[in-house]
Amino acid sequence: MTMTVPASETITYAQVRPPFWRRFMDGLPRGTGLFFGYGVLFILYLPIVWLMILSISGEPLTGIPGDWTLTWYEDVIYADIAQRDGEAYGSNFRVGDPLLLSIGLAFATSAACVIGALIVGPVLPRVKRRGPLLIGFLMPLMVPGIVAGVGLFMWYRLVINVKMGVWSLALAHFVWAFPFALLAMLVVASRFDTRLMEAAEDLGASRWQRFWQIEVPILKPGIFAAGFFGFLLSFNELPFSIFMRAGQDTLPLYLWIQSGAHNTTVPLIYAMSTLVTIVSIGLTFLAIKLAFGGGKDGKQ
Amino acid sequence: MANSDVAALRTAGSDGDQILQVEHATHRFGDVVALDDVSITARRGEFLTLLGESGSGKTTLLRIVAGLERPTRIARIAIDGEDVSAIPASRRNCTTVFQHYALFPHMSVGQNVEYGLRVRGIDRDQRRKRAEDALTLVRLLDKYGRRVHQLSGGERQRVALARALITEPAILLLDEPLGALDEKLRVDMQVELLDLHEKLGLTFIYVTHSQEEALTMSDRIILMRRGRIVQEGPPTDLFDRPASRFVADFMGVENLLEGTIESVQNGTASVRIGGHVISGAWSGAGPAEKGAAACVAVRAERVRLAPHGVAIDEPGVNTLPCTSGATIYKGKYLDQTLDTDIGPVKARIWDRGVDVNDLEALWWRESECAITSNENGAGAGSGDDA
Ligand SMILES: Nc1ncnc2c1ncn2[C@@H]1O[C@H](COP(=O)(O)OP(=O)(O)OP(=O)(O)O)[C@@H](O)[C@H]1O
Ligand SMILES: [Mg+2]
Repeated sequence: MTMTVPASETITYAQVRPPFWRRFMDGLPRGTGLFFGYGVLFILYLPIVWLMILSISGEPLTGIPGDWTLTWYEDVIYADIAQRDGEAYGSNFRVGDPLLLSIGLAFATSAACVIGALIVGPVLPRVKRRGPLLIGFLMPLMVPGIVAGVGLFMWYRLVINVKMGVWSLALAHFVWAFPFALLAMLVVASRFDTRLMEAAEDLGASRWQRFWQIEVPILKPGIFAAGFFGFLLSFNELPFSIFMRAGQDTLPLYLWIQSGAHNTTVPLIYAMSTLVTIVSIGLTFLAIKLAFGGGKDGKQ
Repeated sequence: MANSDVAALRTAGSDGDQILQVEHATHRFGDVVALDDVSITARRGEFLTLLGESGSGKTTLLRIVAGLERPTRIARIAIDGEDVSAIPASRRNCTTVFQHYALFPHMSVGQNVEYGLRVRGIDRDQRRKRAEDALTLVRLLDKYGRRVHQLSGGERQRVALARALITEPAILLLDEPLGALDEKLRVDMQVELLDLHEKLGLTFIYVTHSQEEALTMSDRIILMRRGRIVQEGPPTDLFDRPASRFVADFMGVENLLEGTIESVQNGTASVRIGGHVISGAWSGAGPAEKGAAACVAVRAERVRLAPHGVAIDEPGVNTLPCTSGATIYKGKYLDQTLDTDIGPVKARIWDRGVDVNDLEALWWRESECAITSNENGAGAGSGDDA
């Protein structure tokens, strides 16, 4: 306890030469980080905004905005309706069936994700050796979509040799979206105080009542998040769909094929993409509001 | 104290009126024996306290009664005469006030209180009326529509109480309900709980690790240690007649002097400590045996001081020559350490006129100390358990 440091050896922070990166960072002007962040956002959103602007321009293929019109939107809608009635139309762009298929798949995936996450989510944090289990459930997040898609395809077509169809698409979408949904649920479920379930049991609640009246309302943000992830991830999914489609076109798949095929349909793709983006953003806000807004929950 | 009169009345009640019987309960968590062959009973309307240090098994015992924990082994558990060993917590006629309250965060105060009625399918109007009654009882009627997180700790505690009371259970289990409250609030709530107990006539089983709380509130105290019952009886028993050195220490006896029993007669034991012989009533669990190690337990407030030249002309007192030691100022009184040839003895001095530097001896009445076994481990038998 009598260790003394000679005055000449006293070390202060000012005298230590900071490492290179520290000096570099200190040398940067204030607000550099924020500026960088804005830059990333800019790179991300500029093409989307540009695409939206072109979708209401008269000559989108030139890449120059102007000559505002909604004609491409009309085409997206009428091309499908007209061809359905057997008329010839300017383009053979038919988005109706893929759209319906994508919406149907998205709802199914969403429902399956909610149910799966609600079953697995609350028990996982309470399992003793949950590490390997957790990794197992979340592993699909780390496997590239293309690889998993090829894997699934090979397995079902070549090994098991069953016919692909809507069912295989739905399965692939679930496999893809479930880890995200589960992760969203785990964020909420791991903070769930299981002692509340004991309190409810102590007050006379049956297993079913405890589930519906305590667990589900408290896990509500997780449920919404899981359903929302399930919906959007399925709706936007491309790599799995390529392999598991078996003649079925989802909306992203259809747009992808069309964008590679005809120059004439490109303006329609702009319009369709804009519509999808706007609806997606709308859904996102709605989901966030439903899950975290409200505040006055606890309905009976 | 009115409380002890009630206690006397209740302990005199017939044995047939037992609302709770737990016989030979043992519970293990892996290698940890949380409860080691414990038997307790509670009479209808009794305020029974489970007292013990942290980890002594109080919560485990309470959870077994509530049905939230399945004991490793149990001979019998009955509530109101009915064997409930196969009945789940949700259908046992008792409710718990948890130390951590466990209020439902997604419900209002009113919905929390009503929950026990809601799961029983009672209609909304009736529920509301009874919730208001329960909230009136805990003086929180104006908070019916509040969110739980808008309440103070004391208010939450009272909501938890109202929630547990609303189903009118046969037994109310309270697990350190005042543990999270500050000193002042705790004292207020102690009084409120006693009032409530008086008013409702329910059986309370109350867990605490504070001996003061146990003494002021209980009809009967069960003192536990390492999963076993060390002593049980009315507060005065534990306070004045500790069954072992451990009990005396736990009940806050400041002076524990170790010696050897020299003689025993008519329930009075004499103990040799160094060159002195000290006498007092034997309060150990078993009979006193000559030559055995024993402990003299005397509270600081019983120790009196004899200034130089003043004779102690009272029969039946223990006297020790002493000199003054350290003094600690405590506001209302002084904690004075006195040095004797058998070690330091603590005295509590209320009278500021006493000159502690001019002392000849300290003394106390034989009737005001207890002689008990020197047992300090968990090996003590289960007191006067029949
Ligand atoms: N779920 C559990 N798993 C393993 N051991 C446990 C568990 N619950 C309690 N124990 C152990 O059992 C013993 C008794 O615990 P209990 O909670 O009954 O004590 P307590 O008297 O209520 O203590 P406290 O005053 O700290 O609440 C302790 O040694 C504790 O570590
Ligand atoms: Mg406890």
